[in-house]
Amino acid sequence: MTQFRTFILALIASFGLPWLCLVVVPAVKYQALSPLPYDKEADGMDGYYPPVPINRQGQLVYAREGCVQCHTQMIRPTQLALDGWRKGWGQDQEARPAAPVRSNELRDYLGEPYAFLGVQRSGPDLANYGWRAPERAVVHQMLYAPKSQHDWSNMPAFQHLYVERLAQGPVSSKALKLTGKFAPKAGYEVVPTAEAEALVDYLLSLKKDYPVPAKAAVAATPAP
Amino acid sequence: MQTSPATPDTQADDLRRAAIDKSVKGPVLFLFLNGAFWLMASTILGVLAAVKQFAPDFLGPCSVLQYGRLQPTHVNALVYGWGVQAGLGAMLWIMARRTGQELKSGKSVLMVAAVFWNIALTLGLLGILGGRSTSMEWLEMPTFVWPVMLASFLAFAWPMASMFGRAFRPEGFMVSTWYVLGACFWFPWVFLSANVALHCLPGLGALGAGINAWYVHALILLFFAPVALGASYYFIPKVTGQPIASAQLAKLGFWMLAFLGGWTGMQHYMGGPLPAWMPAVGAASAVLLLIPVGVVGLNHHLTTLGKHSLVATSPTLRFVFFGSLFYPVSGALLALISNFSTGANLQFTQAWYGFQIVAVYGFFSMTLFGAIYYIVPRLSGCEWLSVRLIRNHFWFSVYGIAAIVVTSLVAGVQQGADLNHPEMWDQNFSQLALNLRPYLIARAIAWTLITWSNFWFLVHLMLMVAGLGRRSSAPTLLAHDHEDEALPNAAHA
Repeated sequence: MTQFRTFILALIASFGLPWLCLVVVPAVKYQALSPLPYDKEADGMDGYYPPVPINRQGQLVYAREGCVQCHTQMIRPTQLALDGWRKGWGQDQEARPAAPVRSNELRDYLGEPYAFLGVQRSGPDLANYGWRAPERAVVHQMLYAPKSQHDWSNMPAFQHLYVERLAQGPVSSKALKLTGKFAPKAGYEVVPTAEAEALVDYLLSLKKDYPVPAKAAVAATPAP
Repeated sequence: MQTSPATPDTQADDLRRAAIDKSVKGPVLFLFLNGAFWLMASTILGVLAAVKQFAPDFLGPCSVLQYGRLQPTHVNALVYGWGVQAGLGAMLWIMARRTGQELKSGKSVLMVAAVFWNIALTLGLLGILGGRSTSMEWLEMPTFVWPVMLASFLAFAWPMASMFGRAFRPEGFMVSTWYVLGACFWFPWVFLSANVALHCLPGLGALGAGINAWYVHALILLFFAPVALGASYYFIPKVTGQPIASAQLAKLGFWMLAFLGGWTGMQHYMGGPLPAWMPAVGAASAVLLLIPVGVVGLNHHLTTLGKHSLVATSPTLRFVFFGSLFYPVSGALLALISNFSTGANLQFTQAWYGFQIVAVYGFFSMTLFGAIYYIVPRLSGCEWLSVRLIRNHFWFSVYGIAAIVVTSLVAGVQQGADLNHPEMWDQNFSQLALNLRPYLIARAIAWTLITWSNFWFLVHLMLMVAGLGRRSSAPTLLAHDHEDEALPNAAHA
């Protein structure tokens, strides 16, 4: 019986240590993490980092449609991958920005119940999509009929987030401008549902490369 | 048994075995049959998901069948529908047989738990398809599901732990029961802590993603791997009639897995927002895991040495042997996707899916098929009907799984090269989508092969559970076509 007890204790010890170190202690410490104020002198700006919470309604749609299966939300540092040099993947939309987009850190996802870092990257990274997003109507069109924009696209068409309805009176200002085989029947129009609007709100709000306050940045980056 | 004279001793042994088998018959057959049904569902969904990935318009724009919902349903059905259920069935039988304990009471509790597991799972998978997915890997099912599943699992784990406790003899080292007990113990711990962290705490942001990755790795390394290893350590000596080559190697393999398994996972988000030491520790332990993997592989090799010809005749050994072969393969794949040089290239590619499938299907499921081919005849009282169906199951599974592993890995290399090529810096994803296409088509074909093999496995198993198998005292062996001749190997008792 003592051997049985030793066996169980050894199991508890061997698994309990990584469990404490990787799950329990970080989870407890995470609760103390809070937004950092910018310093007017050092950073040249006011407010807090990260500034605004994400659009949770839209994020729920993002989760339930499984967007994470093909889209990541995580910029890797340049020593590991070329994410930072990709055109338009950060705030700077110039062809060849002076500096790479910064990689993400823990505070970028503060306020999100769960960060959708992603499973695969079959489509572009969306961490900073808000900067490069086209106008709202075009994003809607991309979600409704991806192939109307890229004929090679392998993105699913999320038509169930939109309603095709009889156009009564003047065409709604929200109606998608679809042409060719993607256009609805004559006299009909396609308008986004509240869920589609929330999803687009969320996508447009994805700007995870805010400047890091100088205080925190010094602590985070290793000495050159 | 037929060849040796029936002395009172062996007769008593036979009776004792029969009593043990009879005591666990109901729950074990129920779990196997339901598992096989879910496996069927999962493989069909696997074909669909692969097709939807390169042809998103296939079957129309129906919301339920979009890739983002199909893929998690496919994986969850494989993991919880087939994997955990079949695993529990084999664990219960091995534990009862190896400890020599009958399932004393509470058989109805086990049946109820198994029924609830399936109800919860059905609701959970319908929840994903219906648009309630949480998009946390392997935990996509809606929140209400996990407490039911945890309670069901514990209902099975408890009798197994008490069998182990009652039978423990200090002089006996029983590696298969160690693994089985370990799985009983790790699964609830891992499952509970991941679910509490992700569903009950007020929100962990990027740390939540890290814990999710840790959960997937821990479930593979501390549930699927131990169950499959417990089965292979039980069946390889049993069928070959040789003792396990080295108790030292077996102990080393067990304890190194126990010590390292819990540290891996966070390297999945290397270069991400997690504190840098977490992915570093994960990567280091994933590479160190090559040692226990190699040690177990060596031990199995030494145990089978000289008996390889039995692979041609015994379906159990053939499946278990092939599954055990895939343990080192999964270990190597894990090391490849986890270290920072090749892993950075394979991150966010098909290689990750390839690892999940090689571990859960190539390694775990193939071993479990072997276990099922051994266990079911002893519970249902009849022998497998057809050698051809078993052969069919084996070869289509082997070709399918090998194709998935190879194509996922090569596709991962291709995808990583496309993502990280300096000249792609201002390109859109058209080239990547184009390059990925052939691999996805291959994946769809591979899942079709596996679906075909599983269809016949399911039919065969249903006939067996219905008691419609061959009435014979000789096991169905692959070399002899339905000849009722006794096997000259006492190990097949």
